[in-house]
Formats: sequence, structure tokens, C-alpha cells
Amino acid sequence: MEFDFRNRDYGADHESHLLPRSRTQNHPLSSPIASRQQQARTVRGSSDLDFFDPLMGLNASAEEKVEEEKDTSLSIEAVTQDLAREWKSLKRILMQHFPVSKVISFSPVSNVITKGSKVETPSAQPRLEETGSEQTSLEETAKVMDQQEYLAKVRELIDGITNAWQVEDRVTSLKLSIKVTKLLMDTTVLQFYPTVFVVVTDMLDMVGDMVWERIKEKAEHDVDGTLICTLSNNFQASDICLEARETCYNWFCKVGSVRELLPRIYLELAILPCWRFLVNQPREVLDRLVMMVRGLADPLASVYCRLYMVHRMQKLGFCNSGYLIKCIKDIEDILAPILVDKDGCSYITDDKKLLFNLMEPAIEYIMKCLLLTGRQENNVLGMLEELGFGKNKSQSSDNCTHVSILLHHLLKELPSELVSSQAMEILHMIKCSDDCSFSQVLNYRLLGIRLCEGRSQADFLSALISEVMQAASQYQTLYDYLRIMDAYVDLLLQNKMENHLDALLDNIVYLARDQFLSEEEQASLQSIILKLLSHFEDLQKVLSLNHFIEILDLMSGTSKKIVNMHLLNMGTRNGCICDSTTVQLLFEVSQGLYDATDFVNIKDDDNRQTSHLISRFVEMVDYGAERERQLLFLAECRGAFSGIHELKETLVRSSNTLAVKSLKAGKMHINFVKSCLAFSEVTIPSVTIPTKQLNLYLETAEVALLGGLISHSDGLVISAVECLEDVAPTDGLKSIDVDSMASVVCKLCSLLVMVPGNPEKGVMKILKSIFSATCSSSWAIPRLKVKILCAIISLLSTLSQDNLPYRSANPEIIGNDILFFGDSSYKNELVSWAQLVVGELVEAIEQESSQIARGNIALEACNYISSALIMNEKVSQLCLRLLETAKVCLGEKDRYLEATKQSLQL
Amino acid sequence: MTTVTVKLSRSNRIYRSSEAVEGKIVIKSPNSISHQAIRLSINGSVNLQVRGGSAGVIESFYGVIKPIQILKKTIEVRSSGRIPPGTTEIPFSVNLREPGESIAEKFYETFHGTNINIQYLLTADIPRGYLHKPLSATIEFIIESGRVDLPERPLPPEMVIFYITQDTQRHPLLPEIKTGGFRVTGKLATQCSLQDPLSGELTVEASSVPITSIDIHLLRVESIIVGERIVTETSLIQSTQIADGDVCRKMTLPIYVLLPRLLMCPSIFAGPFSVEFKVCITISFKSKLAKAQPKSDPTAPRLWMALERLPLELVRTKRDQFSC
Amino acid sequence: MVLVLALGDLHVPHRAADLPPKFKSMLVPGKIQHIICTGNLCIKEIHDYLKTICPDLHIVRGEFDEDARYPETKTLTIGQFKLGLCHGHQVIPWGDLESLAMLQRQLDVDILVTGHTHQFTAYKHEGGVVINPGSATGAYSSINQDVNPSFVLMDIDGLRVVVYVYELIDGEVKVDKIDFKKTSTSNSAP
Repeated sequence: MEFDFRNRDYGADHESHLLPRSRTQNHPLSSPIASRQQQARTVRGSSDLDFFDPLMGLNASAEEKVEEEKDTSLSIEAVTQDLAREWKSLKRILMQHFPVSKVISFSPVSNVITKGSKVETPSAQPRLEETGSEQTSLEETAKVMDQQEYLAKVRELIDGITNAWQVEDRVTSLKLSIKVTKLLMDTTVLQFYPTVFVVVTDMLDMVGDMVWERIKEKAEHDVDGTLICTLSNNFQASDICLEARETCYNWFCKVGSVRELLPRIYLELAILPCWRFLVNQPREVLDRLVMMVRGLADPLASVYCRLYMVHRMQKLGFCNSGYLIKCIKDIEDILAPILVDKDGCSYITDDKKLLFNLMEPAIEYIMKCLLLTGRQENNVLGMLEELGFGKNKSQSSDNCTHVSILLHHLLKELPSELVSSQAMEILHMIKCSDDCSFSQVLNYRLLGIRLCEGRSQADFLSALISEVMQAASQYQTLYDYLRIMDAYVDLLLQNKMENHLDALLDNIVYLARDQFLSEEEQASLQSIILKLLSHFEDLQKVLSLNHFIEILDLMSGTSKKIVNMHLLNMGTRNGCICDSTTVQLLFEVSQGLYDATDFVNIKDDDNRQTSHLISRFVEMVDYGAERERQLLFLAECRGAFSGIHELKETLVRSSNTLAVKSLKAGKMHINFVKSCLAFSEVTIPSVTIPTKQLNLYLETAEVALLGGLISHSDGLVISAVECLEDVAPTDGLKSIDVDSMASVVCKLCSLLVMVPGNPEKGVMKILKSIFSATCSSSWAIPRLKVKILCAIISLLSTLSQDNLPYRSANPEIIGNDILFFGDSSYKNELVSWAQLVVGELVEAIEQESSQIARGNIALEACNYISSALIMNEKVSQLCLRLLETAKVCLGEKDRYLEATKQSLQL
Repeated sequence: MTTVTVKLSRSNRIYRSSEAVEGKIVIKSPNSISHQAIRLSINGSVNLQVRGGSAGVIESFYGVIKPIQILKKTIEVRSSGRIPPGTTEIPFSVNLREPGESIAEKFYETFHGTNINIQYLLTADIPRGYLHKPLSATIEFIIESGRVDLPERPLPPEMVIFYITQDTQRHPLLPEIKTGGFRVTGKLATQCSLQDPLSGELTVEASSVPITSIDIHLLRVESIIVGERIVTETSLIQSTQIADGDVCRKMTLPIYVLLPRLLMCPSIFAGPFSVEFKVCITISFKSKLAKAQPKSDPTAPRLWMALERLPLELVRTKRDQFSC
Repeated sequence: MVLVLALGDLHVPHRAADLPPKFKSMLVPGKIQHIICTGNLCIKEIHDYLKTICPDLHIVRGEFDEDARYPETKTLTIGQFKLGLCHGHQVIPWGDLESLAMLQRQLDVDILVTGHTHQFTAYKHEGGVVINPGSATGAYSSINQDVNPSFVLMDIDGLRVVVYVYELIDGEVKVDKIDFKKTSTSNSAP
């Protein structure tokens, strides 16, 4: 018994199953007013911002303001916590940022370490001995020691402190603490100082805590351990019993008897919180300590000592901006002589830069502390006045100079609203402060950066920026100019100061004339250009800026590449590119990028992004009705960017779209359509991924059919099949996505429904090729083979119908239904093919090793066969066999099995 | 082994002369002991000595001068009997002055100097007959003035203003210091409560030669009348550095020195002896000579140093809530 | 009430530069709970745009999709309904009801959404409902260069679904409504 195809009436099926539809005015997306505001928020680009309800805008900013006001006054707890965190990170920075050379020679003071840790018995005598100890050891030669060795010795000493404490030998503990603290007197190896500072102050914090706990214990319990009282967090000095007070005072006496100033201060700072046991308001203590530090003449030692003082004041919980201001003023006084190059400052002149580098973290922390405290006291402005802000108006100009490193960190920490309101003031201070402690250029820059953060008023900005520009151009070097102005570009743009922007660009071109830009200059210029690019929505606006192209030409190397990427990105993000000068520029930009990239050998994310951007650019170019020109452009791109694989696909798809557009425009363009098809046909072979290649052949064939160009479509389909046949031998099987490969073959089958058979080459030639390519292919695993064979069966069934389900929109293409109408040999051939395919199909199912997959493909085959063929005995036996296979593999209850049975009406 | 210790009621062992000294005698013994009456004696005295060691004091003065008795008292805390094995505590309370006796000048405060030692001792004696060695224990307690007319804190500031320049120096200076000149000014409270720190200010107004250190030295001056002569010895109690290195000019530095206990007492001008105090400010200048000099008395005049000595009167003040 | 947006075959930027502005202005964030997309977006930017409308986005792979990680088919359950998704270029012949019904059986879903033909259709057959939202950009198809942009919004409420068809015809958005109920509860989602 032979197979016979089921008759289908696609038109009737379509009509009878359509769900009835009715026009409606009410639908879920019909509320244009409500939708508009929401849309503005999410759609990319900011042009929609204009649609914002003005009332909404006001509301939003008012809310922010309230928040800000809340933010300005901070709780003491918050400040303390903040600073505790800062302290931790500061310590990390100090340890990491100042790496030390391996071998350090130590000056005699460190003999504390090299001498070992013998402890003298406490009596009045050693005190006298200590007084002269340094003088004697001065003669000793400096010992050479490894950093690690040194730190290990220090740690040994620190262990000694805890051990002694544990056995209640507090005198030894104290002695060792003093010894370790004395290490901070040695500033001969500058880079090592921060590390020593961290180690020593950690020890001091520890000792401070131990002393605190001991006195607290004495205050809470008497000798026998009975509870006297429990101290609350905010206890008063009067809550402390005499015994505990005496112990406490004794500690201060012991510490106070240390002859040397530096360890004496550090040790008192370590036990500073203990003053709370003695006095309620330790104001005098802090006043005195702030002054005592002045006795340390070494700038580095004194700044670090102040750093520790500020840290311990936090611990005491009694720190106000007054002390901090005094500290900062004192630092200013200490730095002043270094800045003016006083004679006799031994090492200072040698290595000022290093010195300031080392001081910077300390200064930064103290400033942070000051501003946080000022905000907590709600008196930032008053604080600034005390620091000498705003005095220059009335006084002569030399009184207003501030040390630039201090100014820098102050400016860094100022609340942004104050930066805005005091901007002119700050600018003048920066102008006056030109010293070697910090780069003036960076201070100008920082002002710009800080101004950008806040909401600055436009009224003074113009004057301010004029002044900044003038100051910047006085440097006479492009790098400084760029670095400063970079920080102001956003301000210029936000406030629409076109004149300034023009002047800026003029200056850049002027300063850069006849120069090859250094890497740093490139980076700064890059930053400026990127700001321009991100500000302007429209590339053309950027291009029309003064000298913009000239400035672009200044760039080279990586910076040029980055700028080019941004240009391309910007050019392609807003839809079609129609303007020919823009196209030209972007083409050159793309070429620049292409030339700077090795697409053949290097395949990294960067290159992928570059090729992606260039492809996107090519896609976006739209010459409108000038289609010939566009095709030329595509050809040009193909030549220029031959190394970009991704682009090939783009070129083909663009040319196909061009052909379709041209078809829409009318029949007279058929020659142009042919040119497009030819372009595609030539380009497709260079696409490397077989699936993509196949897809492109099919799309081009579809377009050819739309154009009524049978010879083209035939050629393309044959190429597609050849491509399919070629898939197998290539070794890059892993690179093929086999699932999508199978899908494309299915698509090819569907396409063949409307491709007229070629009687000369045999009607079934293409089908035959697909069949044999599938059967012999290595990529088609049983599951996919079944899928394709099913597709062929479907195709055969469809081709056997008197009316095909669809045809190409072009009336010149005549379908097989008409071509072979009443041709019995044609139908016979289809049937015999069906038999062949079914046989292969059954075999393929058997090859599937996975049980579940086998069950499923059996059902799939069953569905296809029953849909394509009339259910005669042979077919029904076949179907029953497949169902049995499915039942064995999937079980009787399988839903797919049930649904299939239902459709078979079994 | 039997041990006897005396424990005082105050761990710091400080008592005012108007107060009773209280405590207990602690006897630890494995077996029972028989004893004669247990006695407690209190002894206060000023011990004077003249040592010939310093700077060629005439040798004939050398030797111990008869101590001055301040107080001598013995009381019986337990009549003869037996002490059981284990720990026995015998509490006591002794008034230092006789009833009706006014608090006289004689209760000098405890002081341990170089030549003058004012000391109060409390001794417990347990005589046990001829066969056994007597047991005894001694402890020092510290006397602070118990006068009712002590001044209250804070003392009215009595500041001395000082100027130290190349011209105020009575010893030779290095030529560069002499010609370059310097000027250090400041003020110091010369009357000071023992409970308070020594305080003042100091400012380097000018100095052409870099400064290496500025120190505040506390000195005690002990004078003893020996025969018809007065032997005076000055010794260093404590040095405190207030400037390390070439400090900024015109910047005020604090002078702040906590007075060490026992080593200092209220200034005394008694008949046979006196204890006075001085402050010596030293300014050391940078000099190669300084480095070559071996360590010695830091207050001695040197070519690279400027000195200023100021008298210091120490006073005992009334206790208040913040005193220790 | 759950709103499910179904759309596909955008072919951006090759066959169309972008979604029609009139569609874009209607598709606002916050209204739609799920998006199901039949594929051929084709570029990542469209994926990102859809995410801004609704983060719950389900996509299957069209033959031209840049992102190869989309699956060939996908099923998801929304309320009482099980939905299946497939692009449709794999169906032979394209858009054939019987072939789609086979796919629906295979996926075991109440509503099957497919694309590729760039032509809106909604069928009901014994096995359930098959919907094709058309091409949201009006891109040319395999068989036709004149296509009206369209997409579909499904309002799923209990056992009832109202399908809104948005079609851009001559510059105007026309909205049609199709109403259906799930009849066979035997086929309901587990």
C-alpha cells in the first residue's frame, strides 16, 4: 500500500479558526496623560525632560533640600563612627602607600630597638639617666636593619607590654610603652615613619584601653571585689571614688615624668580618655595638649602627633572645632618655613615632595575631622572665618595666603553648598596660594570639580570661570591648562556659557600649536572631549563647535581610540545618520579605529566593541532616496573594514533592505535591485559562521523572490544548500549552534514552498541535496535529524496540495501548484520521496540514545506523519509503532502522548 | 613561719597630721604563740646629713647630724596573752597629736631629699620572752599638713615674667650665640600648690642659632646649719622637655610639670634646716660642642646653653573634690 | 488582572530603525507585568529598551538575533494559563495552523505565541489558542514587503483572556479586541 498525502485547504482552515476581533477604544494602554511623565523618566536621552510637569520638578527639588538640611547637622555618634571608620582606612593607607626600601639604616634613637629590651628597675635615679641618654649614643654608628626585622623587634616589645600587664607589673608595661613610643622621635627614614606610626599608635591605643579598664574597675569595685557602683556611659568625675581617682592621677604623674616631649605627649594622649575620671570638662587639658605639640619642631613628627591627638580627642568624646582649628593653624605655621626654603632645614630641602606626600594623609584626616565636627556643631561658616576665610577682602593680599596642601584638603571636605556660595573667595585663595606643598593646578581643578557637584548659581560662574581661564592660561603649558579646564567643562556646558566654551577651544588650539601631545595631555584632552560628547545629544552640534575637528586631530594613540569610540557611539545612538558630512567624519573615525586595531589576531572585548560600533555605524547610515549612493557606501565599507567579520552580515542585510526599499519604490528600479543582490551574493561567502551564512543566503533569496528574480533566487538557494553540504567537513563543529542550524534548515524547507521547481535541473534536486546533506552530516544528532526529516515530510505534503498556503508577494513568481498542476509524475515523485524519508526517520529515532528524547521524537514524527499522510493501514501501523515507542520511553501518562493520541482520534 | 605585717587603712598611706592613723596588725602563724604586751610605736623625725661628695665641701662636716625628733609615741594594743593559730588581726587607731595640743609647726610633711629626710614610721612589736625572737614590723606612712588654715585652691596666680637673652647670661656663650642673639620670654607661677602642676608659658621670640631643646628642671635646695655654717646643696629632681628641636618663633609653648610626690614638699624654713625649690629653664642651642660633651648635670652652665633660675614656693592647699 | 505584552520581529536596525514612536509612547513602564517576545529583535539595545518597560522579559531566538543565548522555545505560566513561545521560522509551512497545533501539543501550552510571518493572527482550535503578534516595526517579511506594524497585549484575568491588537495603519494606531475563555481545564497548567 502506498502513501498518500492528506488534502489540505489552508484558506478554509485559516478562516474557520480565526478568533473574531472587534475594534475598541478602551484598552490598557489608553491613558496618554498619565503615561507621559513616566515615559520621560525611562526613555533614554534627556530631551524628554522638557515635558516634565513644572510642579513636579519643584516638588522634587524641595524634597531634596529638606534632606540636605537634615544632612548638614550630624549627630555626635555619627561623627564618631565616621571617624572611627576613617581612622581604620587611614591606617591601611599609611601601611600600604609608603612602601619602604628593604634595608633601612637607623639613627641612634632607635637603639631602643637594637639594644634589646632590658628594663631598668623603677627608682628616681633612672629618670636622671634618661635625660642625657641620646647625647651619649649619638656617637654610635647607625645600625643597619631590615624593615621586617625592625618591626619584629617592635612587636616583641609590644608583647612584652601585654605580658607584663597580665602579671600586674604595670611599671614594666609603662617602661616598655615609653620605649616603643620613643621610636616616633626618629624621622630619619621618612618613608618608614607612617608604618612605625601605625604600629606604635596601635600599641598606645591598646595601653590606653588597658589603663582605662583598670581605673574603671577600681571605680566600680573595691579591693575585695565588691561592687561600689556601676558607671554609666556619661558618668561624672564625682562618681569616682578617691582610690580610683588617685590611681588615675598617678598614671598621669608617671607619664608626666617622662623627660622627652614627644613620648610624653603620645602617652598622655593614650590615656587621654582617663581624664574623665578626674574632671568633667577637660577643656584645659586639651588646650594645653594642643599647645604642647607646638614644642615638636620636626614637621613630620609634629603633624603625625597632631593626627594622633585628633584621633584620641575623638576617643575622649570631647572634640570641638576650636582645637582642630588651632591644630590646623599650627600646622600652617610649621609648614611656612619649609615653603620659603629657609636655610638650615637639613633634609627638608632635599625631599620636600616626599615630606608633603607623607604628611598628606594626616592632614586629610584632620580636615575631615574638622569639617565633620563643624557640621555637627552647625557652624561650618564660623569655622571658616576662624581659619582666615574671607579676611582678604579687608586686609592686604599677602595675609590671605594659605598653605596649598591645607587649602586643598579643606576644599575637598567643604560642603558643596558652601563651595558654591564661597567660590569666588576660594578662587582668590587658590590664586594666592602657590607653594610647593601642593600643586596649584590641582587646586584650581578641585574647585571646578567641587562646583560641579553642587547646584551652582550661574550669576557668579561666568566671572569665576573667566578668572580661572585667565589663571590657567598663565601656566603657558597645555597640560596644566587642560587639567584645570577639564574640571570646568561640565559647568560651562550646564550653564550654556558658549563664549567661554569657544574661548576654551581657542586656547587649546593655540597652546597645542606645533606640538606633539604627551600621554598625559592626551588623557586630559580626552576627558574634555568626552565631556563635550556626553553633553551634546546631537553629534552635529559637537562638530559645529569651534576647532572641534582640529582638536580631534591633535589626538593619537589610545586616547584617540577612546574618543573615536565615543564619537561613533554618539553618532549611532540617535537613529539614522543622514547628513553626509557626519557620515564622512564617522567613516574617517571608523577608519582610524580600524587601523588602530588588529582584528585578525586579537579577539578581545575591546575589539569586539570596536567592530560592533563600526557595524552599527554602517547600519545606521541612511541616504534616503539616494540608494545607489548608499550601495556605494556599503561597497566602500566592505573594502575599508575587510577584517571585521561582524560587518559582513551587516553589509548583506543592509544591501537586502536597500533592495526591498527599492522594490517598494517601483518596478523601474529592478536593475538596482539586481546590483544589491549581486553585492549580497558576493559578500556572503566571506561570512565565517555557517549558520549566519545560510541565513543570509535565505534572506537574499527571499528578497530576490520579492523582486521576481527567479534566476537569482535559484542561485542563492543552491548556494545555501552547498553551504549546508559544506558544514559537515569543517572541523569547527563546536562553533556551530546545531539547534539553530536545524532551525535554519527547517526555514529553508518553508522557503522552498514558494520557490518554483526547476524542471531542467530536476524538480526535487534541492530537496534531495538537503536530505542527503542531513543524513550524512556529522552535526545532525538524531534529535535534529528527526526534526529536519519531519520538516521534509511536511514540505512534501505541502507541495502536493492544489493550493499552496502562501506565495511570494511578487506576482511574477508562479508557485509549484500552478507550475505542476495536474502533473502526476510530480506527485508520484513527492510520494516516493516521502517513503524514503519516512524510512530514514524511523531509523533515526532508533539511534537516539536518551530515552526521553527518543520518546519525544517518536511522538514528533507521529504527529508529522499523521498530519501529512492519509491514515491508511500502513500509516496507522507506523503511527502505532511510534506511539508504542513513546509509551515505553515516556510512560502512559505523558501529556504529549495523550495529546497526540487525541489528535489521532485513537 | 610566723609573719607580722602592718596594714594601714589607706592604700596611699597618706594622713593629715590632724587625723588618726588607723590600720591593723596582721599576724599569720601556723601555731599558737604566747606573747607579752603587743606595742605599737610611732616615730617621726628629721634626719640630716652632710655628704662630702659634692663640690669640695669641707670634710670635717661630713657625718650624720643628730636627728630632730618630731614625734615619738608608744601604745599598747594588746596585753600579754596567746595568739591562736591562723590569721589574727588586731585593729588600731592612733592619734598623732595629744588631746588639746595644737597643730604645731612641728609636723613637717614627709620628704625624701638628698641630705634631709623627713620620715614617719609605725612599728609593731611583739616581744615573746627570752626564748623566742621578738616579732616586729615597720611601715612608713606619709604625713601631709593637717592645719586648718591651709589656703584653698586655686592659689592666686603669682606670675613671674622672665626674659632670657644673650645679655641675661652670667656665663660665657659661644660667639655665634652671643652675636646672633636670642630672646625667649615667658611667665611662670612661682607659688604653686603641691596638688597642681607647675604652669606657665614660654615663647621663643628670636634666635639666630637653631635651638635643639628647651627643658624645665625642678631643683631642690636643702640647707642645713652645721655649727655656725650653713651647708646648702642643690639637686635635680626632674627634667621636662618642652621644646624638641628648633621650634617656631613667636609660638607660645605651655610649661606644665606635674610635681612628683614625696620628692617635693611644702617649702620649709625651720630653724636648723630649710627645704626650698627652684625652677631652672635651659635653652640648648645647636653646637658641635654639645655633642662631644659627656652627660653631666643638665643645669650646669655651658657655652651652648642659656639658663634662667626662678624660685618656686610650694604650698600645701586644702583638699577639694578634685584633689587626689 | 495581568498584562502581558507580546511582540516580535522588530529587525532593528536592519529592516527598521526603531519602533514606531506612537508605539513607544504607549509602552510605558509600570503597566505591564510580563513581556513575551518572539525574537528577531535583533540588537541588544532593543532588549535593554524592553527591560525598561518591564523587567520580566522572555525571549526566544529568531534566526537573526545577535544574542545567541535565547532558547529556541520557551514556556511560562501566568495565572491559570500556560504560555508557549517560539519564533516560527522553523514551522513548515510558515504560519500553518496544523503545524502550529503540533508545536502546541509538544510544548503542552494553552496559548502559543509565534511570529515570523509579520502578520497578526489569532486562532482557536481544539488544543487552545495560537497568536502571532506580527512585526512591531512593520519590517518586511519572507513573503511580503508591505507590513503594518503590530503588537499584542494580553489581559489575563482568571480563565479569561482579552487580547488587544495594536496595529499601525496609515499612521494611526488601531486597536482591536479579542475575547476568549479557557474551556478545557484538563489542559491547565500544573
